[in-house]
Amino acid sequence: MTLTDTRSSSDTPPAAAGSLSPTALERVIGTGEHEAIGRTFIMGSLLLMAVSAGALAAGALRSLSNGGPLDVTDNLWNSALVGMVLMGAIPLLLGLAICLIPLQVGSKAIAFPRAAALSLWTWLVSAVIFAISLGLDGGVGGADLEASRLGMLSMGSMMVALSLGAVCVATTVLSHRPVGMSLARVPFFSWSMLVAAPIWILTFGSTTAHVFLGQISQANAAGLALRYEAGVAWFLRAPSVYMLAIPVLGISCDLVAQGCGRRMARYGTVQAMIAMFGVFSFGAWTQTSGGRENILWIAFVVLGAVPVLGLLGLIADTLRHRKPVVSPGLVGVLLAFLLLLGGMLAGILEALNTTGSGTLFSFEAAGLGWAQSLFLLSAAFIGGLSALSAWSRVVLRASAPGAIASAAIAAGLIGGGLLATVFLIQGLTGFGLNLSFYNVWVAVAAAVLALSALLGLMLALVTSRGHARQPASAGAAGLTLEWAQDELSPEDQALVLRTIVASPYPLLDFRFTGEAVEEDK
Amino acid sequence: MSDTATLSPPEVASPPESPQAAVAPTPALPPTMPRRRELIFGTVFVAAGVAMALLTLIGSYLARRDAAGAAWLADNQLALTQPNMQMLTLGMSVVTMQWAVWSICRDDRYHTYLAIGVTMLLGIAFVNQSTFLFKEAGIAITQPEGPLFYAVTLGHLAMVIAGLVFLLLMAFRTLGGQYSSRQPDGIGAAAVFWYAGVALYAVIWFAVYIQK
Repeated sequence: MTLTDTRSSSDTPPAAAGSLSPTALERVIGTGEHEAIGRTFIMGSLLLMAVSAGALAAGALRSLSNGGPLDVTDNLWNSALVGMVLMGAIPLLLGLAICLIPLQVGSKAIAFPRAAALSLWTWLVSAVIFAISLGLDGGVGGADLEASRLGMLSMGSMMVALSLGAVCVATTVLSHRPVGMSLARVPFFSWSMLVAAPIWILTFGSTTAHVFLGQISQANAAGLALRYEAGVAWFLRAPSVYMLAIPVLGISCDLVAQGCGRRMARYGTVQAMIAMFGVFSFGAWTQTSGGRENILWIAFVVLGAVPVLGLLGLIADTLRHRKPVVSPGLVGVLLAFLLLLGGMLAGILEALNTTGSGTLFSFEAAGLGWAQSLFLLSAAFIGGLSALSAWSRVVLRASAPGAIASAAIAAGLIGGGLLATVFLIQGLTGFGLNLSFYNVWVAVAAAVLALSALLGLMLALVTSRGHARQPASAGAAGLTLEWAQDELSPEDQALVLRTIVASPYPLLDFRFTGEAVEEDK
Repeated sequence: MSDTATLSPPEVASPPESPQAAVAPTPALPPTMPRRRELIFGTVFVAAGVAMALLTLIGSYLARRDAAGAAWLADNQLALTQPNMQMLTLGMSVVTMQWAVWSICRDDRYHTYLAIGVTMLLGIAFVNQSTFLFKEAGIAITQPEGPLFYAVTLGHLAMVIAGLVFLLLMAFRTLGGQYSSRQPDGIGAAAVFWYAGVALYAVIWFAVYIQK
């Protein structure tokens, strides 16, 4: 007799089955369920984002108490920025992707669920180690050798873990689609993650190599700091830093279509623009200073703005045709576009400065570089918060309280915007950040950003711990497959998932053809 | 309207994008699902990340060698015989690897096992040749060239060993009947990773050994 994959329930006595049931902790640690993994990623990233932004505020306060200028070469500053990217923005977007994308493409599971779980736990442990190393005067560019080694190693480990998660997400989009859902019909968020994942994997592959070199070269603390500056920090500058915002483009297009309850016009063009933005965000070739001072770099930085402006036009066109159902998520993601445009502007100004070689313009490149990083980072973070709010019925299984969502998004916009603007002004005017006023400005802005992350965490906890489920009619109705479990009866869900997808908006199609499909059934 | 179509808010009812999308009777899935190629896609992404890391290391090696000039590896002997043989070994393994893919796609299990075995033998030979080369070259990790040289070569060696382990696992799965002409993804994925390793060695062979 052939042994089947699943034993029949009669094989195991009920008492024995009960004694073997896992505890809550075992369920969390051992789960391969993509929604649980994604939610843990989201909550962990919000907490660690608050820690990182708090470290940034602490750095500004330290400069203020010392009476000196704002020292952006300080290890606390660099580590906080790395932390906000690798412990905050990217894991938040990745967690959303792990949670949502299998549902968007009509799959019950993510590709390689154990690898996704490995990605989560490796990232979480590495992030905690990174935070500890920072406390020991390590992190990136710290003075203590052992703590700096630990900081660099944990940073590389986070990059590998996030790359692994990205592999799972991209593979899910490529191989778990239902019949009829060609790549031209995948939802925009899934498409944007399919574009972002290879860019993240390639970029982090390159930076991890430098971390590896730093470890085996037996460098001292100063050497490790130099290795970070020369080999890793480039990913926080244009054009590489644009990669943070790729998923925001997909989120915004999905939320606008859902808010308006209509299809995005020129679906293929929108996909092409997201892909084009992805291509221009690949910047591993700009690792050396020579790589950032040539016509190709200028072209990449400037042309990166083209798809963003094009998408803005298409979004405006969709909004013009039908008044949207206004929600914190929709407003937040549209305002995140402003931050994105701010980052593009800082990049273009730096490109113009490079073109003029200091003769046409005399901007401060370092300030513009920091402005790019902070604008793009804030855009990614606000985009993630907005998506969490808008998809809360799917991700957290309940409707997010609008007040908390609005407060979190508003605080993020104010904090991130203020933080980036001070460096944009510094880049344009060249002042030396030596006034205590700027220390206070930066400390307050970073503290507001930390508050935003904490509010986001509160949003996730409050919502997932039993905020009353609202009926689907309370908000805009979903158009894509991830809303099936929330909005359809189990019978209809099964029906939708068995039908051949005929457009990018299967649920919208179902509402039109439901009766006929029922007859067919 | 029937019971199942209860969720039709009129405000979201924009017309379908095309007449084809509005076709009312939607046929059910065919009984056989299309091949998913999950493992192949995943392997491609992982191989791309590993390749990027190794290419970055090679780039750093070349930059440092360029800066050092004639002093680079002046005290060491890097004979070309060994790297040439290694390149030849891996080149032959590409043929045997493709032989395994070809065989499994035709349900020729005997030749699949034979091809995987020969590929693994060639891979193990490559590992052996590498250790011999390291011993002959006598490059110390403490000398300025050491960390970069070993980062590149040992990094690639680790990739080849990972490829061997991958191949071994897929061979066991094939032995268990998991792969056949209907589902050859495991062997295909191992082949993709192996080819990436060979292509990277070709770069190392030319950049590190030929242009030494």
